[in-house]
Amino acid sequence: MLSAREMRSLNGLRLTPRKSFGGKVRGERMTRKKGVSIEFADYREYTDGDDLRHLDWNVLARLETPVMRTYRDEEDLAVHILLDRSPSMAFGEPSKMDAARRFALAIGMIALAGGDAVYARALGAREPTPPVWRGRASWPRLQRWAERDVMDRPQTLSDGVREFAGSGARPGVVALMTDGLDPDFPSALRLLVGRGHEVWLVQTLSDLDLDPDLEGDLRLIDGEGGSPVELTANGAALAEYRKNLETHQTALQEACRRGGGHSVVVNAKESVDDVVKRAWRREGWVA
Amino acid sequence: MTFQNPTALLWFLPLATILFVLYLLKMKRRELRVPATFLWPQKTEEIRANSLFQRLRFSWLLVLQLLAVALATVALARPQTSRLGLTGEVTVLVLDASASMSANDVSPSRFESAKKLAREAIQGSSGGDRIALIEAGPSPRVVFPLGRDSARQASALNDLKGTDAPSDMGEALRLAAALVEGIDGARIVLLSDGRFPVVDDFVRGKAAVVYRRVGELSDNVGITALGLGDGPQGRQLFAGVKNYGPAATGGTLSLYADGKAIDSVDFKVGPSKVYGHTIDAPAGAKVLEARIKVNGDKLKADDYSVALADPGAALKVLLVTKGDPFLERALALDPRVTLDRAAELPADADGKYDVVVFDGIAESPVQARGVMTLGAAGPGSPVTARGSSKPRFESQAKDRILDGVPFDGVFVDKAEEATLAAGAKALVEASTGPLLAVREQPGKRQVYLAFDPLQSDFPLQPAFPIFVANALTYLGGEAGTSTLSVATGSTFSVPTTKEATLKGPETEATLKPRNGTAVVREAVRSGAYTLNVDGKERAVFASLRDAGESNIAPVDDLQLGGGAVKAQAAPRRFADFWRPLVALALLVLVGEWWLFVKRS
Repeated sequence: MLSAREMRSLNGLRLTPRKSFGGKVRGERMTRKKGVSIEFADYREYTDGDDLRHLDWNVLARLETPVMRTYRDEEDLAVHILLDRSPSMAFGEPSKMDAARRFALAIGMIALAGGDAVYARALGAREPTPPVWRGRASWPRLQRWAERDVMDRPQTLSDGVREFAGSGARPGVVALMTDGLDPDFPSALRLLVGRGHEVWLVQTLSDLDLDPDLEGDLRLIDGEGGSPVELTANGAALAEYRKNLETHQTALQEACRRGGGHSVVVNAKESVDDVVKRAWRREGWVA
Repeated sequence: MTFQNPTALLWFLPLATILFVLYLLKMKRRELRVPATFLWPQKTEEIRANSLFQRLRFSWLLVLQLLAVALATVALARPQTSRLGLTGEVTVLVLDASASMSANDVSPSRFESAKKLAREAIQGSSGGDRIALIEAGPSPRVVFPLGRDSARQASALNDLKGTDAPSDMGEALRLAAALVEGIDGARIVLLSDGRFPVVDDFVRGKAAVVYRRVGELSDNVGITALGLGDGPQGRQLFAGVKNYGPAATGGTLSLYADGKAIDSVDFKVGPSKVYGHTIDAPAGAKVLEARIKVNGDKLKADDYSVALADPGAALKVLLVTKGDPFLERALALDPRVTLDRAAELPADADGKYDVVVFDGIAESPVQARGVMTLGAAGPGSPVTARGSSKPRFESQAKDRILDGVPFDGVFVDKAEEATLAAGAKALVEASTGPLLAVREQPGKRQVYLAFDPLQSDFPLQPAFPIFVANALTYLGGEAGTSTLSVATGSTFSVPTTKEATLKGPETEATLKPRNGTAVVREAVRSGAYTLNVDGKERAVFASLRDAGESNIAPVDDLQLGGGAVKAQAAPRRFADFWRPLVALALLVLVGEWWLFVKRS
C-alpha cells in the first residue's frame, strides 16, 4: 500500500503528541514521571528505601546531606489507529477507504519505528480487542490488518467512536482515519477527548464531498442509510452544501483542538508524501 | 375601463387550472447515491414534472406564469379606456367641403369650424395614432393618407378652402372605408352639417362612424331658378328666390344682362316660400345673371346664378346605343351636355332632345335639332347604305367638324358603303364612299359617320373627343359658342391638345390635356371664370344649382349605408392598451425564464 519512496520518506520521523501519556512498559518516549532513564530530571531528599545507586555522592560529601538524583522516565506511547470502514468511505476514485488505509499505515509505521505501542481498530468491523504492536517487526501485521476489507457490523461513525471511548482504552494518541460524514461525529469526538485522548483527525474526503458536480433534479440516497433528500441541484443548493460542509469541518476541528489534537482535511487523491509535508510536519504531528 | 371582448377573461380559468395541474404533477427525480445526505439542503424547485402527483408547493415560477397568463387573458379581452376625443388609434377624418359648409352661422364658417375640429383632433391625438384626411368635395380626395406626421397633416389641413359645390359624400365615405378596411378599432369621423343625400352604397366594415355635426342655423335665402322662356310677350327672364329659413325675410334681387344691370327689385319672402320675378329679356343679351342681397343670409354661394341665352350653350342629348363607354364619356364630359341613354329610340323622343345620337343602331326619324348617326344609316340619314366593307382613306375636306381631327391615321375595320343623299356633303372620302357626311336642313342638322367607332381605333385616338365636341357644336345649331354655364364643382372637358388655363374666383389652374381633352374640375366657386384654350378665351359661369345645399339646416340623424348615425356633440375616443399588457406578459415570461435558468 505504501510505496518504497513513501516508506523512505517516513523513515526517521517520530510522532510528537502535545500531551504526555503514561506508558505500560519502558520505552523510548520521555514522560513526566520520574524514572530510571539516563536523562536527569531533578534532586530530592533521600528517604528510606531509596536506591543508593542514585544518591548523589558529591552533594553528600560537600553538604553532608543525602540527596537523590531523579531521572525522567522513558515509557511507550499508546497510538490508537481508528480506521473508519463505514459505507461512506467506499465513495471516490480512488476510494476514501484506500486513502485512509495508506494514511493509517503511515501513522502506524512512524509509531512502530518510534517504539510506540500501536493499537489498530476498524470502526464498524467485528474484531477482537486488538493486540498491541511494537517495533518495526510488527509492520507486516499492521499491513495485513490494514488490508482487511471487512464491514460486518453496520455501525455509524459516531457510534464506533463512542464504543471506543467507552472501551477503557489506554489514553494516548487516537489517529482517526475517516471522512467524518456523520452529523453526530463532533460530539463523539468531544467524548473521546474527554477520556484523555489526543485526537489526530485525518478527514479524508473525495471530490464528490469537496466539490460535488451535481446538476438537475435529484433524489439523493444516503450511503449510510440516512434519509433521502430531494434536491434541485443549482447554484444556491450547492452553495448551501458547501456552507454546511464548512460548518461541519469547523466543528470537527474545534473538537480536536479542544483536546490538544490536530485535524487535517485531505483529498483522497493526495499522496502520503504530500500530506506529511503539507500538514503533519508543518503542524507538528511528526518531527 | 371597458373590455371589447370580455368573454376572453374566462380563458384565465382553464389556463390557470392547466398550470396548477402541471405543478401538481410530481417530478420523477434522478436517484443518486452520495456518502451522506445530512449536509445537503432539502431544496427543491418544481420546474419540471412528469409523473403524478404531489402536494402543491409555493413556487415563484408558478406565480410568474400565472401572472403572465393573467396579463395575456386581460390583453385578449381587449381592454380600452375612453375619454373625450374625436380620434382613435386609426382615424379617417372626412371633412365635408360642400357649399352648405360655407355657411357662416358659426364663425367664421362651418368649413373653418370643421377644420378647427380636425386640427384639434390631430393635435390632441396620441403619438401612436394614425390619421388620414379626406376632403369631401364634388371630387373627394385624400388630403393625406394614414400617418402620424401631425405637423404635415396640420399644414395640409390649413390649405383646404372648401367649395360652393355639392359634395359626393358617398364616394368620400367609401374612400374612407377603403382606407381603414380590415383595421380593427378604426373610426371614420365625419365633420359635416349633414346636408347631403342619403348614402346607400356604403359599407363601413370594421370601422365605427362618428358624426360630429357642424352648424346651428338654417337662415338662408338662395336663387333657385334663373331661366329664359319664349312666351306670348317675347323672350322673358324668370328668377326664383327661396327662403329656407324659419322666418320671413327680405332683400334685393338684381338682374344683369351681359354684365349690365337691367333690373333691381326688393322682395320679401316667407319661410319655405319662393319669390318669383319675371321681366322681358333684353334682345341680343347672351349672359343673364342674378344676384341677391339679403340681411342675415348665412350662405353666399347661392346668391348668384347665371343663364345663357345661346341655345348651343346647353344641349340635351339622347344617346341610343347598345353600349359604348368611349362615346358616353366623351358626351358626358362636355359641359353643355345633359345626357340621357336608351337602347332604342323612345316613342316620346320627338322634340324632347336637342341632339339624338344613334350609335350602331339604325337611324330612325326623330324630331331634334341635330342627329348623329354612327355606322348604321337609316331612312332619314344623309346617305344611303348598300353594304359594308373595309374602307381605304382617300381624302378629307376642310371643315370645322374636322378641326383637329385627322382621319388619315384612323384604322377602320368595317364601314358602310354608302351613297350621299340629296343635300348631303361628304367631309371624308374613302374607297367605300363617304366616311363622314353632313347635311343641313331647315331646323335640323345631321352628321353621319360610316363606321361604328368600336370597329375602329378611333375612340383610342386623341381626335375622338375633339370630333364629338365639334359635332355637338355643329349639331347644336349655332356657329359655336364661347360661353359655358356649369354647376359649381361639375367636371367637364374641353377638346384641346395644348395646356389650358382656368382663372376665376380663388382659382388659377393649369389644365394638362390627355387624349385630346383637358378635364376641368376646378370651377368649385360660384362666379365667372375665364378658360383659355388654344389661345382662345371662353367664359365659364359656375353657379350653385342645388336645393339640397341651399337648405343649410343642419341634420342630426344621418342614413349611411342603411344604418342610422346620430350626431355626437362630444365624441369619446377609446384607447386600446392590450399592447402594453402583452409586452408586460412577455417581460414576466422573460423574468420567469431567467429565474428558471438561474435555479437550474
